[in-house]
Amino acid sequence: MIDVQDLTKHYAGRVAVDRLTFQVEPGQIVGFLGPNGAGKSTTMRILSGYMPPTSGRARVNGHDVFHASLQVRKSIGYMPETAPLYTDMRVKEYLRFRAELKGLTGRALGQRMGEVMDLCMISDVRRRLIGHLSKGYRQRVALADALLHKPPLLILDEPTNGLDPVQIRQVREILQNLKPAHTILLSTHILQEVEAVCDRVLMIHQGRILAHDTPDKLTRQLRAATLVQLELKGEGTHLLNQLESLPNVRKATLDGEDEGWKRISLRVEARQDVREAVMNLASAERWQLREMHRQMPTLEDVFVELVASDRTR
Amino acid sequence: MRLLWILLKKELRAFFVSPVAYVVLALVMVLSGYSFRAALSILERGPSEGSIVQWMFQPNWFWLSYFFVFPLLTMRLFAEEKKMGTFETLFTTPVRTWQVVLSKYLAAVLVYSVLWMPSWLNFKIVDWITAGQVVVPPGSLTGSYLILLAMGCFNLAIGCFASSLTSNQIIAAVVSFTFSLLHFLGGLFIMVLGRKVSETFVDIINYFASMEHIRTYTSGLIDTQPLVYYSSLALLFLALTHQVLEFRRWKP
Repeated sequence: MIDVQDLTKHYAGRVAVDRLTFQVEPGQIVGFLGPNGAGKSTTMRILSGYMPPTSGRARVNGHDVFHASLQVRKSIGYMPETAPLYTDMRVKEYLRFRAELKGLTGRALGQRMGEVMDLCMISDVRRRLIGHLSKGYRQRVALADALLHKPPLLILDEPTNGLDPVQIRQVREILQNLKPAHTILLSTHILQEVEAVCDRVLMIHQGRILAHDTPDKLTRQLRAATLVQLELKGEGTHLLNQLESLPNVRKATLDGEDEGWKRISLRVEARQDVREAVMNLASAERWQLREMHRQMPTLEDVFVELVASDRTR
Repeated sequence: MRLLWILLKKELRAFFVSPVAYVVLALVMVLSGYSFRAALSILERGPSEGSIVQWMFQPNWFWLSYFFVFPLLTMRLFAEEKKMGTFETLFTTPVRTWQVVLSKYLAAVLVYSVLWMPSWLNFKIVDWITAGQVVVPPGSLTGSYLILLAMGCFNLAIGCFASSLTSNQIIAAVVSFTFSLLHFLGGLFIMVLGRKVSETFVDIINYFASMEHIRTYTSGLIDTQPLVYYSSLALLFLALTHQVLEFRRWKP
């Protein structure tokens, strides 16, 4: 669906995107992840045919974004970061105008408008002026606009930016419902979002790709230590030392105590599970164990680690 | 063609939903009403060589109601879209740049034409009330409105161009006002000062002097030269606007 080769973009001497190469298969939801200014928006603008790359090439749905810009624009629904809208129009009016621009006519137009308004939960404001709507509604009007012509590829720049938690969940649901028919490239810097909806993650930093894989694989490859948290009641001052002497445990720390229950966290070598060993030790020592929980590394950890290693390079 | 019509509808709507069109219409009505009243009072004094149409459009203060119209009508066109970011959503739909330019320009020309309707009605009303005693020569009338339209097309194209250069409406307005006024004054100064210079030089200046064009057309002489002049310049500025907007798509 997307095929990007050596894509580079310079802005006034500054490199925004640096020899980006990646592919996106049809039907995937790809999370485009990176700190602010990493080159996400620039890449998306190039993919949507809004501006040309300095060098390299990008193809969307088989069409070159520069040479066949019109075909590319027909096959994408693009939502820019700020969700710009004509504030002096009513929601219905705006969507009708956009649908007509995108080539919808007659009965199909009316039907499709009803569908996207229902899908994005904006039917209740269809007669309101866009200028009077809250940020959350505007964001969803922009999303409805991007969906109007059933584009095979959706390019969404921070679709949940500025929404409250309930609205964020709603937008995620909308995206997941779109999945079989649409390929989605969405940018974000919220990591839980990627974990929640994306099939693949594309991490970029300073215009370069750091990683491109499924969220699971990325967290499994993480070199950073994982964490096991315990709550136990037991006698003995060597409790922490005993835990630390277990294989693969790097460090045991006492986080606090509550009516005799000690809260302890263990830092464990990456990709190792020490829970069984802890269990055996506890029963041998006759400790009472009321909680044990392994904290999996999150994408956030992956991201921080990759960015840090990229800086030192 | 279908896309052009959709875009044009939207632009016209934007004009009449915002107060701009009405404010400009009111101002033009007031000022051209004064011009008309002045023309009538000249005729009241006694027999006159010029017709009411000439007295309406030839005095200098007709120009008062003229130059402020163009910045007001055109400053919004592209600058606002750039400021609000809708420029990006507009140009990521399958529209061609020339369709956008032409639709915005045509909308401005249509609104501009509407502005002069009331003054045209003034002539009709005088003709009707005085039962034809005040002579409104049809040739002069047609000529006057034709040249108004031609000059308007030219100045609106300048405004379009100015608006495409910036995302700031004030800057767009100032640039368009300055360009229009410079063009007008260029013709005017030489006409006023140029009595002593050679005749060919005056002829050259008369080629682009708006005052001179108004004078010929209001006397009922429809000369194709100014029409060609204004329409080709309008085309030039529209082409420049198109290039400015297209540049984004080519800039490496």
